[in-house]
Amino acid sequence: MRRALFALGAAVITTAVLLPGAFGRSQATPGVTAKTVTLGGTFPLSGPASSYAPIPAGMAAYFSYTNATAGPDGKRGAGGRQIIWKYYDDGYNPAKTVERTHQLVEQDHVFALVGGLGTEPQLAVRDYLNQQKVPQVYVSTGATQFGAKVATFPWTIGWQPDYQAEGAIYGKYIAANEPGAKIGVLYQNDDYGKDYIAGLEAGLGAKKSQIVDTAGYEVTNPSLLSQILELRKAGTDTLMIFATPSPTITAYATMAKIGWKPANIYVNSVSATQTFMGIAVKSAGAAEVNGSISTYYLKDPANPSWANTPGMKLYMQIMAKYAPSADPKNGLYFYGMAKAYDVVQQLRRAGGNLTRDSFMRSVRNSTLVGSPFTLPTVKTTTGPKDNFPISQQRLIRFADGAWTPFGPLLDPRK
Amino acid sequence: MASFFQYVVVGLSNGGIYATLALALVLIHRATGIVNFAQGEMGMFATYLAWSLIYTAGITYWLSFSLTLALAFLGGMFVYLAIIRPFSHRSELTVVMVTIALLVILNGAAGWIWSPQQKFFESPFPLSVLSVRGVVMSAQDLGVIAVSAACALIVWLLFRFTRIGLQLRASALGPATSRLLGIRVTLMLGIGWGLAAMLSAVSGMMAAPVVVLTPSFMLIVLTYAFAAAVLGGIDSPFGAVAGAYILGVGISLLSGYVHQIGPELQLPVALGVLLLVLMVRPNGLFGHPIVRRV
Amino acid sequence: MNVSVGLVGRLGALAALAAVVVLLPAALSNFHTYQFAFVGIYFIAIVGLNVLTGYSGQISLGQGAFMAIGAYTTTILSVDHGVGVYWTIPVAGILTGLIGFAFGFPALRLTGVYLALATFALAIAVGLMAKSFDGLTGGGGGKSLHLPSSPIGGVAWQVWLYYLTWAIAAALLAAAWLILRGEFGRSLRALRDAPIAATSFGISLARFKTLAFAIAAFYAGIAGSLFAITVAYVNPDTFPVALSILLLTGAVLGGLGSLLGMVFGALFIEFAPLYAEKLNNSAPTVIYGLILLAVLFLMPEGAAGLIKKANRALKRASRRE
Repeated sequence: MRRALFALGAAVITTAVLLPGAFGRSQATPGVTAKTVTLGGTFPLSGPASSYAPIPAGMAAYFSYTNATAGPDGKRGAGGRQIIWKYYDDGYNPAKTVERTHQLVEQDHVFALVGGLGTEPQLAVRDYLNQQKVPQVYVSTGATQFGAKVATFPWTIGWQPDYQAEGAIYGKYIAANEPGAKIGVLYQNDDYGKDYIAGLEAGLGAKKSQIVDTAGYEVTNPSLLSQILELRKAGTDTLMIFATPSPTITAYATMAKIGWKPANIYVNSVSATQTFMGIAVKSAGAAEVNGSISTYYLKDPANPSWANTPGMKLYMQIMAKYAPSADPKNGLYFYGMAKAYDVVQQLRRAGGNLTRDSFMRSVRNSTLVGSPFTLPTVKTTTGPKDNFPISQQRLIRFADGAWTPFGPLLDPRK
Repeated sequence: MASFFQYVVVGLSNGGIYATLALALVLIHRATGIVNFAQGEMGMFATYLAWSLIYTAGITYWLSFSLTLALAFLGGMFVYLAIIRPFSHRSELTVVMVTIALLVILNGAAGWIWSPQQKFFESPFPLSVLSVRGVVMSAQDLGVIAVSAACALIVWLLFRFTRIGLQLRASALGPATSRLLGIRVTLMLGIGWGLAAMLSAVSGMMAAPVVVLTPSFMLIVLTYAFAAAVLGGIDSPFGAVAGAYILGVGISLLSGYVHQIGPELQLPVALGVLLLVLMVRPNGLFGHPIVRRV
Repeated sequence: MNVSVGLVGRLGALAALAAVVVLLPAALSNFHTYQFAFVGIYFIAIVGLNVLTGYSGQISLGQGAFMAIGAYTTTILSVDHGVGVYWTIPVAGILTGLIGFAFGFPALRLTGVYLALATFALAIAVGLMAKSFDGLTGGGGGKSLHLPSSPIGGVAWQVWLYYLTWAIAAALLAAAWLILRGEFGRSLRALRDAPIAATSFGISLARFKTLAFAIAAFYAGIAGSLFAITVAYVNPDTFPVALSILLLTGAVLGGLGSLLGMVFGALFIEFAPLYAEKLNNSAPTVIYGLILLAVLFLMPEGAAGLIKKANRALKRASRRE
């Protein structure tokens, strides 16, 4: 009898705790009221990928700034609506992403999902969000398929220059300027690395044979020595590093340890922020790292040459006011803020009668100019034939602790 | 041939990092019969303390290194006395869960205090290469080999030739008898944990320049250290160290020469070794057979 | 007199629990019902783990790996071979059970922490193999299943999955109870508590220990299969080592040796991380670890043990009147 009471008691308590959330509000457009719009996202706030946690924080800072500052229409917020930003931890586990995304859509009734991080986590929820016709906008990954598959998944779109496009930039540049180069590729053995290789080969075109060797590695490898030695043995004089930040640093250090410096090193942009390059320089010595080539499309808060630009000053002001305990030199806050800027522009563009349809139409067919955070003249453009919002980039070269751009603004997707 | 020696040197260097941590695991297992799943995280936490000393407080490397060892010793003792000892009469499973809880706490705490962002941790050895008859070896690898060998040697000397070493061994083998002989067993076991924590700290500080400092950087090292300790014999300090060097060199050579065992399979090979040894010879290459008298 | 009261009490508790399970979706939103479907899945997994670790005393840090095998079985069969997704559930269970049985043999030589280490290695290895055999498993990119849908018109898919999961859970719970109350359970407990004596009585260590592994794996396979159906996506990251640790934690906290205690364990697994996050957004893992330590210290027999203690205290109090 007492056991029965206990069991019943436990059940009553559980139900009482959960019941309040049981009855949702039914609205014309979920997440939108006259005064507010609610956005949601999932990010790895814990676990091995948690170094990306600054992204939603950077977005939060910009949304707070928007909510407090009068926009071009004279009203605070986006189109007069205050942005409510809800984001949850998924630990880079796609099963958690699914659960938290369901929570955002069905319990928190968000208007749209923005900036969700991770290729696999976002793939896991793509079917569901498209079935429910919830915008899955500006996902935080450069995986090419988020732009390539927009026809099948019209509610999903990426934001940053995709990996294949970046690889193609390197391929075209090498084919045009270093026709005799022997290319060796160090790549992360998953879709991330393979996307880059596909782009490189596409960019090289007929000169694909310039690739003499590719060496993959797993994130669990303690050492990259065998890959580096293999690449050197194959006669590589132009090394492509298609790796996430930590292995990239290890690659530089390993080359320094065996005393090898290929004539050219190309390093993918994700791992090429000033912070990571700084660690690489300390680990491998400046001589090993100088001369490396990469691309970028955003300004870098750790690079002093941008410090006096209005965009960087704005960023620093916003960070100081809304995220004072954060380290503003961390480029991921900057990335988040740049993305949030575009989100706000799209919300404004979508009109006073904000619906998921109007928002998505704007995101898929618009040209945003004048972002203070991207490189000058870089635009966020989409259209019926263009599903890669930002595709413009510039080649940059590393020397004496800083990146310097060279060459024109490139757009591999046009 | 040159690359053969390169693989061996790197294998010994990685092996040295595993060896120091494996030695810590063995120490704790011999002293208190526990497999400490949190051993790697204790080393990680100590390495972050060292990072703060070097980069935030601006203290020179070797001074920070020594201070960290001292802090690690105190930390290890504290963990034993405050967290492990209260559970000493509980089931094996409970104790395993306690060390796992400790792993979780340390990992979360490090991310909270120092942020999960990648950090640079310097190597005390110069970035130069030595060329011996055409074989290029890095000073950093040689330095790590030297440090880990020195640690193993010091531990051996401690246990073999000092009074404290004798007391530690007695406390581990027969706590009740040792108490009767006047040995302060609890203190000795605490010292054992402190020593193990110091070894973990060394392992962490040697690994951090190689693997880039993040809160999870020791988890892979721990897995390899487990494999090494099991391979060599989880009750044998000599075995653990030998096992670690064998494992390090073996994996390095395999990944270099056997192309089938490419990058994807380095860790599975280590795990395969672990499983194989556990099944065929659970006491490892150098351990003593587990005999239970009925 | 006391015996029949105890039995009535137990049946009463069971009936109350069953009533709650049946009625819960009516009181909850679809999203919460969906969360309770996960509770059901974890419940199945840790009942199986309880048989292995609680009753036969073999520490396993690999239950998540067995779930992964079940999940991939369901995914590959339904996505690549067009098998009806619900038919794959028993297939996943049986296949995983056979693999568990096979693993049980070499595991015989291991006890205690050695076994814990071996199952820990298994948990890591399965994830890596799922990544390597990418032709079969989709590698790191994983595979998507069809979004869950309810075959009964008018019933939300979350509610459908909830009832499906808990119906299977009830059946498996009953099966576990039947297996354990008989000679099998007694032999297992004998092997756990006094292995040398039990062996000298003729109880075959090999047979029972490997069977225990098979049972645990079978349950995990079913749970993994349901997991794949509910989440509609699998890849190596969906079954990290942390999941195996979480399952063992839930089993320990629920109370090893108590099947009903696993309800608490399953509730913990699903909801504890969420509440840890609410308590402290920047250090949820630390909070979670501290909670674990506290519970390990204060409630050695888990939630089930706590209820037993409270029960006894109440009985004593009522007897004094």
